Amino acid sequence: MATSLSSTHNFKVVLLGEGCVGKTSILLRYIEDKFNDKHLTTLQATFLNKKLNINGKRINLSIWDTAGQEKFHALGPIYYRNSNGAILVYDITDEDSFIKVKNWVKELKKMLGSEIVLVIAGNKCDLEHERSVERIEAERYAGMVGAKHYYTSAKLNQGVEELFLDLTRELVERFEQNAQADVTRTSRVLVVEDEAPAPSSCCSGSRSS
Amino acid sequence: MEGGYDEIISDNPFFVEFKKEYSDLFQHCISESWIVCVPRIGSLNTRVFTIEDFCAHILVPSDELPETHYSTLTEKQVTVGNKVITLEVTKGLPLHSHILFEETFYTEDFIKYKVWCLETPLEPSTNNGGVDVTKDCLSSINDCIDLLWTQAAGRQVLDQIELNVQLFLKKNPSLPLAIAPLKDAVSELYTQCLQATLQNRRLREKSKSSKHIMENIKVAVECYMQQLLFDYIFKPICTSCSYEDSHLNKKIRNMSDIQLRDLDIKKDLYHAVPRAKQILSKIDSYNTILEKVLCLKQALNAIHKKDTSNNIVFLTADDLLPVFVFLLIKSGLPNWYSQFTYMKEFRFSGVGKGDGDESTFLITTLEAVIEHIQSGALAGPPDPESYYYDSNPSEDSLSSTEQRRSSLTESVSPPEMNPREETLDYVFDLIKANHTEQVQMVLERNHKHLINMEDNEKTAMNLVLNEALDNDDDSDTSDLELYQKLCHPLCNCKKCCQKISKNLLKISPTVNSRDSHGLTPLHIASIHGKAAIVEVLIEMGAEINTSDLNECTPLHYSASRGHQNALLLLLHSGADMKKTNIDKNTPLHMAVNNGHINCVKALIYFAEHGRKQIDVNACNEGGTTPLHMAAKWGYEGIAKLLIENGADPSLQNRNGKTAFDLAHNLKILHVLKSSTPNMYEYIHITSYDVKKLNVKVDHPFSQMLQNLKIRSGDRNKACKTVENLKRIERILQAISYGDVKLACFYMNIDYEVYLNSKNYSKESQCHPLCECICCKKNTLRCISDFDVNFCDSNGVTALHDAARYGLDELCNILILNKANVNITNRKGQTPLHLAALNNKSVVLQCLLNNGANINAIDLSGNTALHDACDVGNIGATKTLIGFNPDLTMLNASEKSPLDVAKEKVHLTIIDLIEKYVNKTSIYK
Repeated sequence: MATSLSSTHNFKVVLLGEGCVGKTSILLRYIEDKFNDKHLTTLQATFLNKKLNINGKRINLSIWDTAGQEKFHALGPIYYRNSNGAILVYDITDEDSFIKVKNWVKELKKMLGSEIVLVIAGNKCDLEHERSVERIEAERYAGMVGAKHYYTSAKLNQGVEELFLDLTRELVERFEQNAQADVTRTSRVLVVEDEAPAPSSCCSGSRSS
Repeated sequence: MEGGYDEIISDNPFFVEFKKEYSDLFQHCISESWIVCVPRIGSLNTRVFTIEDFCAHILVPSDELPETHYSTLTEKQVTVGNKVITLEVTKGLPLHSHILFEETFYTEDFIKYKVWCLETPLEPSTNNGGVDVTKDCLSSINDCIDLLWTQAAGRQVLDQIELNVQLFLKKNPSLPLAIAPLKDAVSELYTQCLQATLQNRRLREKSKSSKHIMENIKVAVECYMQQLLFDYIFKPICTSCSYEDSHLNKKIRNMSDIQLRDLDIKKDLYHAVPRAKQILSKIDSYNTILEKVLCLKQALNAIHKKDTSNNIVFLTADDLLPVFVFLLIKSGLPNWYSQFTYMKEFRFSGVGKGDGDESTFLITTLEAVIEHIQSGALAGPPDPESYYYDSNPSEDSLSSTEQRRSSLTESVSPPEMNPREETLDYVFDLIKANHTEQVQMVLERNHKHLINMEDNEKTAMNLVLNEALDNDDDSDTSDLELYQKLCHPLCNCKKCCQKISKNLLKISPTVNSRDSHGLTPLHIASIHGKAAIVEVLIEMGAEINTSDLNECTPLHYSASRGHQNALLLLLHSGADMKKTNIDKNTPLHMAVNNGHINCVKALIYFAEHGRKQIDVNACNEGGTTPLHMAAKWGYEGIAKLLIENGADPSLQNRNGKTAFDLAHNLKILHVLKSSTPNMYEYIHITSYDVKKLNVKVDHPFSQMLQNLKIRSGDRNKACKTVENLKRIERILQAISYGDVKLACFYMNIDYEVYLNSKNYSKESQCHPLCECICCKKNTLRCISDFDVNFCDSNGVTALHDAARYGLDELCNILILNKANVNITNRKGQTPLHLAALNNKSVVLQCLLNNGANINAIDLSGNTALHDACDVGNIGATKTLIGFNPDLTMLNASEKSPLDVAKEKVHLTIIDLIEKYVNKTSIYK
């Protein structure tokens, strides 16, 4: 529609975290809200496209789940490159998983700088009585690295929706700041326009590892 | 690329009007979180929307089943399942409509409501004839062609694209072999094709009306272009990726016996793996990226598990990756890296969609899998025979052997041993942990024990136990102690009998013990490459060529695992290189298949130095030679090595494929071709496949070949086989060493028979023309199956070289075997020329006696006499003159032999010739 100024933001978000912390559950919970999971005719539970419209801004959120096993850790960069956001999940009853989150944060900051929006999620908050990661410590750490901290429970459907909504808003905000700061530089996030037939060779191809 | 329908809801006139005209109702919907349905743009005729229209598109969840059952504000019942809305109608069939997508809206105060975009309106009356039918999803090249054809109402667009591709190919007869320039070139072509497409007025208008159509057109153009271009660009891509591919293949080959459980894949996924593997292995047959990606998607979708109520539950990321790794390893495709590069780098239509779309996800997953395999994080199944034992002999077994070792040293003498230590498993664990001395000790002790038992048995039979005790004095103490433990040496109380029988029943492993899979300690040591232990075992008399259930010898295992040291030790101890396993693979096959160039070298060089024969062209069950394997998996170095050692690229396997057919990149093809160009020339006459392949690859070369073919056709030697070419090379080499016997051997001529027959014929030939049995037999036996007139690429026959090196004996043999004495090489020289040049008078005599044409000329017009005069060979000149040469013959520079001799001032020769001339003139 030529008259329309509205465009779609495409954002890529990765879910990172140790195995068994409930990354997949969070994702499934977020999808389940969409349709009953029986109706999932799209791919696996590993990839999800979610269309949002926040206040008139159209956002296409691609959420990528990653394998949590330690042996696949080295594949992280392949998944998180070109991501706009990352959700780092830990299990509040598992101290190690929080350490893992810290490692991920370090790695992401090193590889992608501060361009990526980070969100830390303490999952399984329904198991408050078994908590082993201190609330204060987790929140303090999140603040220190400039990430928002959420408590989620995929089981009780708590905090999941908020987490994604806030993350999306942050992404849009970040994007608009960048767009203002440098109108031409839209390398990370591409705006789909109706007339853009010429494929820019922007998907700079070399296999980074 | 997914083709998922998309439109901007907030621009949809239905939605806009609803929001504007009935904002109260709209707000109410939001606050009640009812679902708003919006028919997709174009599905509703533009007319004035009434309140009924809107009410019919608002869904109120039912109280009992809020997920699946709704009612509209017009009091109609609606069910939702599998992305389809079903509207119950009072009469006739229920109305179905697809939910194209869902969009979650948030208001300014973050109140959420959902909008479903529907394919058709939820009103039975407004079912129009589909003004603008577009396919939602392009899923094959046919869909793409269909779209371009129907949307543009004709072939013009397709023709345009074809034309562009043809121009592109004309402009770039040889495509760059690096990905970046290739990508740029193809990307430019894509832009051109798209521009050409959008010049079509119909398409342009349609694409402007809907973003979705625009996206689909882009995909279709790209697909059609790829389809046309694939054959030309994929080979260069494979070539650029050849290193990565061969590296990956080596990794994959070496873990080809990996099992699902090795990758911690959940049991409930096992059932789906074969199907997924089948789907995935077809990826090779698709030309377009669209189809390749779809193939990936289908393969992964095929892997699912069913929950208790038989519902399909899809994979989570934790399960997906290991299964995908497994599928890749088992797929048997030799060029995964090239496939991946193609998919990743040559996708242009999807670029605008950002990096997060589904295809990118799939391709990224493929990348992750390749990376994972390449990183070596998976070192294959931890142990090849873990498959057999189901044990995990990693650190824990090491530490336990450590413990056991200490217990072992303590209990060297006591006869009551830990039963675990007496099992073969224990010995195998020791071998894996590389405890050379322990292995030796255990096996030696067991060996001794065995001997002792035999002794004891004998003595026990004789009932002379005292002597037995004496005998045992010098032997192992354990048996001595055993007898000392008995109440009395002759005692046969229950206790003592038990002790003795226990001793007899004790099964202790020896060097040649086998486990249930027929593996001996030597097998295990070879599998693990424990060279020291291999040496010890061989010393202890282990059987070298023993084979397990798969008929694999230790040599097979060391070759397939790439343990060069173990391999060499086995070879030096007489391991049989020709032994085949159950699939008729030789050790060479195993080493080549797994890409162990060190082992391939070891095998070939050992054969060379040990004067043993190794068949580089050996075929396994499927008719596959090692060269086939090297070509398929892209092992350039190995292919080169094999070619150098006589591997024949023109051999066909069971499927009629030659190594050329299996080669996936130009580098390998080049190795196969360039190694022996002359060979290649002949292959092209015989192997149609190769010709076809080559025409496909590079046109100039095939032209050259055409010429070559014509030439070789003229020379009428088309039936030469590669085998013979190799042979003639060897023969000529033997001749150059002056080794007549060897040359005869290569030519299948029995040298001894020749000698005998010579004597025989000299002494007792019945008659020159005799045809009695003994004379006939002799002559017949001299004749070999090998055509002695066979020449190498320079037209040199055995007789040429025999003449050149002055091997008169060989010349006789060859002539006896019907060698053509006047045969010419490429320079037109007969053997006579060569003998004259090299001053071989005896040979000259022999040749001339057997009908050599003394006046034969070579390409520069020289007769043999010219040559002899030129070089100044007095002996040769003398001999030649004795056979009445034509002295008036002029060569290309119009000179007679005499002129040549004068020019070079060979006085003796001038003298000889002048004398001869005088003589003949007088005679005349």
